[in-house]
Order: sequence, then C-alpha cells, then structure tokens
Amino acid sequence: MEKQSYKSYKFRQKSVPYLFLAPNLIIFATFIIFPAFMGIYYSFTDMTLFTFGAPNIIGFENYRNLFQDEDFLAAFKNIILLVVATVPIIFTTSLLIALLLVQPIKGKNFWRAMFYWPVMISPIVVGIIWQWILAGNFGLFNTTLRNLGLAPIETLINPRFAWWSVVFAKTWSRAGYFMIIFMAALLSIPTSLYEAAKVDGANRFQRFWNITYPSLKPARLMVFILLTMEIFKIYPLVVTLTGGGPFEATEFTVQYIYETAFQSYQIGYSSAMSVIMLLFVTVFTGLNFFLQKGGSDS
Amino acid sequence: MKKSNIVLYGIAIVLTLIFLLPVLYIIGSSFKPMNELFSAAPTFFPRKFTFDNYVKAIERGNFLIYIFNSFIVAITSTIIAVLINTMSGYALAKFRFKGDTIIVIIILSTIMLPLEVIMVPIFSVLRAFGLYDTLWALIVPAAATPTGIFLMRQYLMTIPDEIIQSARIDGASEWRIFISIIIPNAKPAIATLAIFSFMWRWNDYIWPLIAISSPNKYTMQLAIANFTGEFGADYSSILAMSAISMIPMLIVFIIFQKQFVQGTASSGMKG
Repeated sequence: MEKQSYKSYKFRQKSVPYLFLAPNLIIFATFIIFPAFMGIYYSFTDMTLFTFGAPNIIGFENYRNLFQDEDFLAAFKNIILLVVATVPIIFTTSLLIALLLVQPIKGKNFWRAMFYWPVMISPIVVGIIWQWILAGNFGLFNTTLRNLGLAPIETLINPRFAWWSVVFAKTWSRAGYFMIIFMAALLSIPTSLYEAAKVDGANRFQRFWNITYPSLKPARLMVFILLTMEIFKIYPLVVTLTGGGPFEATEFTVQYIYETAFQSYQIGYSSAMSVIMLLFVTVFTGLNFFLQKGGSDS
Repeated sequence: MKKSNIVLYGIAIVLTLIFLLPVLYIIGSSFKPMNELFSAAPTFFPRKFTFDNYVKAIERGNFLIYIFNSFIVAITSTIIAVLINTMSGYALAKFRFKGDTIIVIIILSTIMLPLEVIMVPIFSVLRAFGLYDTLWALIVPAAATPTGIFLMRQYLMTIPDEIIQSARIDGASEWRIFISIIIPNAKPAIATLAIFSFMWRWNDYIWPLIAISSPNKYTMQLAIANFTGEFGADYSSILAMSAISMIPMLIVFIIFQKQFVQGTASSGMKG
C-alpha cells in the first residue's frame, strides 16, 4: 500500500459512507426524484409526446380541465371505491387466515405455503388465471354453475361482476402476503397475557378484542398503509383480467394516466393527473398514519 | 379429534383448494388440445394431454426470446441490487456521517413515489439517457430499492463493530472490509434480498411497459399482456406462457420458502 498522509486517510474515511451510498442515491435521484419534479413541471405545460424543446407553460389549465373531465373523474371515483372495498376485505381475510394458522393445527408450514403461494404469481398471470376461469358462457365458472343445475350468468361482460372480480382476484393473490405480516405480529404477543386473561375468565372473543387486537396495532397500521398504496396503483392485474372494461367499469386511475400519456400523447395533462393522484395517496396514507398513531397507545 | 379441530382443518382445506385449484386449472389447460380449450363443457383436467400449445408458442411467437429476456433482466438486476443495496445498508448501519438523516429521509420518500405515478417523466429520462428500449432500462433503475436498503441495514447492525475495527487496524481498505467481512456475514439477508429481487423483476410489468417497445425485447409479462390485448388473442399460447412464467417462481418458492416468509414478516418487503 502506498504511503498516505494522515489528512488524506481521514478524508478517505469520511468519504467512505457517501461512496457506498452513491450508486443507490444516483439511481434514486435520476429515476425517481428528478422524474417526480419533472412530472410536476410537465403538469403545468401543454407538453405532448411530440413536443421537442420547451413546452408552453399554461399554469393551472390542466388541473382546471381535469375537474371537468368526466372520464378522469369516473376513473378517480372508481379507484376510491375500489380502495374502500378492497382494503377492508383483504385486511380482514388475511387477519382471519393468520388467526387460523396460529391455532394449534398440524402441518402449519404446509398450510402457510399453500396460502402464501399465489403471492408469487405475477399480477399479469393472476389476471389470466381468473379471466380464463370466469370469462364466457363456457368458462369453468359457468360450466360449474350449469353442473350444479344453475343458470349461467353474465360474468366479465357485466360491469358489476367484472368490478367485483377485480376485488376478488386481488384478494386471492395478496391475502397470503399480509397473512404473513399478521402471523409474525400474532406470534410475538406474549402467551402470558392470554393465560392471565383465561384466569380472569375472559372468553375467546374478549381475549381477541382486549389482547390480540390492541397488540396488533403496529402490524395493522403497516398492513393498512401498504395495502392502500398497493390498491391505489392497481393496473397490471386489470390489463389481463378485464382490460378496463366492460364500458370502463374497471378502468382505474393508473390505466387512465397511462392511456392519456401514451395513447393520447398528452404528457402535460396526464402529469397533472399523476400529481393529483400522488397528493391523494400521500394525504390518505399520511392522515391514516397520524390518526392511528395519535390514538391510544398499546 | 375435538370438534373445533375438525372445523379448523375443514377451513384450512377449503382455503387450500381456493388458492390451489385455479393454478392447477391453468396449468392443466395449457396441456389441452385446441378442441378441449374451447369446448362447451370444459373438464378440469385435460382428457387428452398434449404439448401442442407450447410448441406453437415457441414456433409462432418469440417465446424463447421472452423467457431469455426475463431471465437476463431478473438475474442481472438481482446481482446489482444485492451489491448496491448491501453497500448502502452498510453505510447506514455502521457509519455516522453528516447528512445521514437527510439521506434516510430521501430513501424513505422514494417509497411514497410509486413508479406508476411517475411513468411519464421516467419515460423521458430513459429516452434522454438512451436507455429507452434496452434491457438496461429494466435492470439498472429497478435495482435500487428502499426496502432492500433497510433490510440490509437492519441486518448489518447486528454485526459487531469490533470485527470491522480490528480489520481497519490490520490496515484493510474499506472496500476490502466490505467484500471480505460484510458480505460473508450478511449471507442470510442477502439471500432474502436476492430472492425478492428476482421475484420482483421476473413478475414486473410496469417497467417493461414504459421502457420497451421492440417485441424482441419483451419480457414474459409484457408479452403475455400484449398478446391478451390483441384482437382474437391466441389463448393456447397465452396459457402456455402463463404456465411457464409461474414455474421458476414455484421452484424458487419451494426452495426458499423460509426466506420469503421471514422477509415478508420482517419488513413487508415491497419492490
């Protein structure tokens, strides 16, 4: 090793953490933070995909137009409804499955693997799976109905059915993931708490309500936030399950933003949608975070 | 057996069927001949077993190219992810330096900026850097993940400082310490990160959607999605591709189940 002065050694020491962080920070800056600011800038311009050079700055016009754009408002209302419906359903399903698996039941690892494994399937393929089962008069779903002596029903060509099948497919593919988070939290609750409650004569429901549920607070908060963000950006699953149809019944914000940008080429306008969506997600999750954090601590 | 136990097992079995049967049905369907695929009374398992759909997918489409692209992207990106996220995790776990809080905040803030929301400007950046329509666009940007950094940081904090200090006294360079002490000691966390990273990249749709336009650079997910959207979609090939795309993940899952469960439980690993 070459001789080095004390000073240069010190400099090396000091620069080491920055050098180790550099690759990540450069990528974040280039591909996330800079684009985010650019998106905000675009949202105030009339930029299209074919704009070369600087676009015209048009102030808040895109935002004004947004609130008169019925298609956008429909997609936005649609995603809010989806979040409101899907988040509690996945939350409850995964918590119930987790509760099932912490019971004294044999073959825990096997069951856990069975419930977790759809998590590994890409949303695109999850969409294919349920599309193939549900779609059409002669899909597995309607064939089963017929075999049971029931009349086949309209599936993915019915807006309401299609919408709920998005909720269902999402739950099917993600419940196992949140189950694991709940399980870890459930297993970390000291058993002495339950024993003491039993001595006091608390029944099963009381034990859940007074011990389990409060102890799950950090896990509940984490699941809630992860889940909300995930549902807000739903898109790939819909691409193969319903394609956004029928009649835009399952068209949600990300798809609308994507189509506005890459099929209608309105970069500025679609950026304004992104900004609105981002604000909404941040406020939504942030509000929840503070509300739950501010509540009585367990 | 107690009555409540029977109920427990009953629920577990029903749930297993709900989670398992749809997947089996798709894999089974991918081996059905054409006339069975579009039969008016489909059976759960194929009556006649055939590889026709796979052969057709290979002959007609660039099926093998998509598989190859997916593997290249997933493997390369995972190697880079392991290296750079471990480096960052190490810096945050074992060094005190000016601006460390700000850096943590910056990293955290990237979690709140989902890719789906900044698709358009990312597209511009990729074009500006000449990365548009190259596999590098799928490999490099996605390798940096905040959850990866925090996973590594958390794990590396458990490595005793004394090991690092004594190596420094022995005159080892910082890079040498990283390579020969930190990496070997972080193996369990690295395994978790690598497995998750592979899954994220293998299953990814949004990055390829933004960054790729030439069909010969499609990944499997992009190919499946684009073929479904086509008029008169060719379902025999789509089913074969879907089945194939699930297989590597199934194998990875069977081998590394423990890492998946631990990774999910500890940090809610999220790409």
